[in-house]
Amino acid sequence: MSLDTPQIFKIPDSSERELQDLFLEKGWGDGLPMVAPTRDRVEEMLSASKDLDPDEVIASLPPRDGIATRRIIAVNAVMAGCKPEHFPVLVSAIRALSAPEINLRGVNATTHCVAPLLIVHGKAARDGDYNSGLGAFGPGNLANATTGRAVRLILHHVAGATPGTGDASTQGSPAKYSYCVAENLDSSPWGGYARSVGINDESAVTIHCGEAPHNVHDMESSEPSAILDKVASTMTSWGQNNAPISQGEYFIALCPEHASTCSSHGWSRSDIASYLFNKATVNVGEARKAFELRAWAPWQHALEDTDTISMTEKPENIKIFVTGGAGKHSCIIPSWGMTKSVTVPILP
Amino acid sequence: MEIYAPTGNTGEPQRSLAAPIPVLNGLSLGILDNTKPNARVLLDRLAERLTERVGLTLAKAEVKNAALAAPDQVLESLSKEVQVVLTASAD
Repeated sequence: MSLDTPQIFKIPDSSERELQDLFLEKGWGDGLPMVAPTRDRVEEMLSASKDLDPDEVIASLPPRDGIATRRIIAVNAVMAGCKPEHFPVLVSAIRALSAPEINLRGVNATTHCVAPLLIVHGKAARDGDYNSGLGAFGPGNLANATTGRAVRLILHHVAGATPGTGDASTQGSPAKYSYCVAENLDSSPWGGYARSVGINDESAVTIHCGEAPHNVHDMESSEPSAILDKVASTMTSWGQNNAPISQGEYFIALCPEHASTCSSHGWSRSDIASYLFNKATVNVGEARKAFELRAWAPWQHALEDTDTISMTEKPENIKIFVTGGAGKHSCIIPSWGMTKSVTVPILP
Repeated sequence: MEIYAPTGNTGEPQRSLAAPIPVLNGLSLGILDNTKPNARVLLDRLAERLTERVGLTLAKAEVKNAALAAPDQVLESLSKEVQVVLTASAD
C-alpha cells in the first residue's frame, strides 16, 4: 500500500534561528535543534532504500494511527541528523515497533517512564559506525545518537506520543531523547544475541521497551556468581515495573569483562539466565504488601506468603547481551511490563 | 526553501467510539474495571449516582488489565447483559 506524498511547506529563506522557531511553533521536535527536511536531503536519505517504493507503508503507529512510510521515516531521519547508512536500521526498528507484542499503544501512553531501546546487531552496526564499545549508551557517537533520536521523533510526530496528549509519562525520561546501543559482537563469548533468538541474518535490530539502564558495579569478583548476585540485587528493587508484572523481561547488558568472567567459567547465556531467575527473588508476602495490583501468572497467585517469587515468571524472560568497553560496569534494563521484545532482520 | 512535514497521514482508527445513548432510564449498566488503584471506588460511586439520578440498574462488573485491551470474552459477556458500560480511570 502506498500513500500520497506528505505535506510540503514553502518557507521563506530564513535564518537558522527562524527555522528552529518555526519547528517549535508547529510542535515538532524534542526541544533540541533539528536539521531542515528539504527535498534534497530526504531524497538522499531515501537513496539507502535504492529502488523500493518511498511511499510504501512500513507501519501504522498508535495512538495517533500515524502512517510511517519510508518517506516519512526519512523526513524524521533527516531532522534527527541521521546519515543514509543508518536508514535501513531505522526502517527496521519502526517495523519492529509495530509488532503486536510490543503493545506500542500502551508503551506510548503509559504514566511509566518507558522508552524503546534499540540494540543494533551484526554487520549493520559495523557498517553504520554504531558504538558498541566504551561509552556505548552515549554520548558521543553520531549513529547511536541520531538513530535513537529519529525513533523518538517518529513516535512524537507520527505516533502522536506527545507529552500530555499521547504520552502520559509522569516524569518522562532522558531515555526518551535517544536510546540506541550496539551489541559488542567481538567481545561476546556466546556469539550474537539475534542468533540466540533465531534471527540468523547478518544484521538485525532488537526493540526492548524498558526503563533507562540501572548500573551494576563489580570491580572485585573473579567468579560469575559474585558478579551475578549484584545483577540479581539490582533486579530486585521494588520500584521497577517488573516487580508487580511478572511477564516483564529484563535485558542484562554485560560489559565485556563481566561476560568474559562468566564465559571463562563455562557459563552460557542460559546458565546466566537460570542463575538470575533463581537469585532475583523476593518474599511473596512482602510483594503482596508492596503492590495492591499484581499482574502475576496464575501459579504465582497460588504461592504462600512465606514462599519466594522470582522477579519474572520464567528464565527465558532474562535476555543477555554484551556491550561496552574496558571496565567493570554492567547494567540491567527492566521492562515496562506489558510488552515483549522483538528482534527483526535489518531490511531496507 | 521547501520542507516536508514530519507527521504524515493518519490511517483509519482501529476502534471508534459508539454513538451516545440519548435516554439512559431503565437500561442495564455494567462496569469495566481496569484494576488501577482506586478505579473501582470511582466507578462504583459513579454507578451509584447514575442509578439514583437516571434510573440505570447496575447489572454486571468485569475486570481487565490496565495496559491491554479487554479480552473478547469480557466484552462478549458485557454486551450480552448490559446496554451501557462505565470504564474510566487514571492512577
